[in-house]
Amino acid sequence: MNTTPAHNQAANELYTLLSPELRAQLASHERCLTVPAGTQLITQGVPPDQLVIVNSGKVEITLACSGESVSLDCAEAGKVFGMRAAISGELPEINVTCMDSCNITTVPRDVFLGLLKAHPETYFAVARVLSGDLQIADRILRNSARRCSPGQRRMSKPV
Amino acid sequence: MPMAYNFRIIEDCLKCSFREQRLFCDLSREALIRLQNIKATSIYPKGALLCLEGQPPRGIFVLCTGRAKLSTTSSEGKSIILRIAEPGEVLGLTAAVSGSPYEATVETLEPSQANFISHADFVRFLQEYPDVGLRVAKQLTHNCKCAYGEIRSLGLSNSVPEKLAKLILQWAEHPLELAVKKPQETAIRVTLTQEEIAQFIGTSRETVSRVLTGFRRKGWLRVKGATWTILNRHALEGLVTT
Repeated sequence: MNTTPAHNQAANELYTLLSPELRAQLASHERCLTVPAGTQLITQGVPPDQLVIVNSGKVEITLACSGESVSLDCAEAGKVFGMRAAISGELPEINVTCMDSCNITTVPRDVFLGLLKAHPETYFAVARVLSGDLQIADRILRNSARRCSPGQRRMSKPV
Repeated sequence: MPMAYNFRIIEDCLKCSFREQRLFCDLSREALIRLQNIKATSIYPKGALLCLEGQPPRGIFVLCTGRAKLSTTSSEGKSIILRIAEPGEVLGLTAAVSGSPYEATVETLEPSQANFISHADFVRFLQEYPDVGLRVAKQLTHNCKCAYGEIRSLGLSNSVPEKLAKLILQWAEHPLELAVKKPQETAIRVTLTQEEIAQFIGTSRETVSRVLTGFRRKGWLRVKGATWTILNRHALEGLVTT
């Protein structure tokens, strides 16, 4: 992993709803990295100790189903990962893998939870990120799952 | 306490006896007092539409009593039931938080009480009370977990009997409380029509009818109106391979 300057961070789905003061508070704890294709940013069943913000590049979100991997979506710059696990303490159910070289920013979970405690108005931004995750899942259910014939029902080829 | 459709209307959130059991409603006293001031309580008959897919978000509905189906329309124009909402669930949350149109049509499956909170009041409520933010985050986390579970289930179920068995077993997690109950039997109340069940599991009404007849003939299930009794849970579980 190479450390590179942060760019375009304010455009992510979390930061757009935070005040400049709160963003500045997080900035001192952020780490900006460039990671190669194939890097797993979030791993199912492994508690993430940080939020991961994609600044550039493309990632794939997959869900493991009895040994198979179902592709849910591809996400690009602006998507934030690790929020569900950070808030609920539950283990991630998805895998997030870089499809190409990605520039990411990481924010330590404890730092973010501390900010949330001190500034509970931040929950609105959290809810927005979680809503985005839910919309992806609902879209999959809507488009792929219900009305297909058995042969077509599998949502995508295993990766 | 006033009554409607044989259930008690819960007008005062501070006195609601179900509050602590529900994901969203277990709020601090201060937040509950505020909630009491901003919510509008309504009673709906069966079949009432609370919100429509594609409609701009007017606000959220806290389902206090009754159940509601969340449905959408597929790209082929067919009706698809996404899930059944149970009491305590907040409906329209994603739309209210993201400001995007409602993603599903919500229709009551039985007489219901829902507390409506306007979009503007809800956003203020969320920003002013930390515990509301936490509850909303937990509800969204829960909804997301359910959706992932549903994707897993649908992505791997291959046959209609398996999907129907899964659905029945899922409903059996909330069994009917009967005065006289035989051991090994589980009674459930099914308010969906066979057409709606077909929409729920992605098949035709005729197939649902045929599979149900099969379950009955094998002695696995007894259907009497809206009351279904699971007679052989083990056999239904045996159909579920994923």
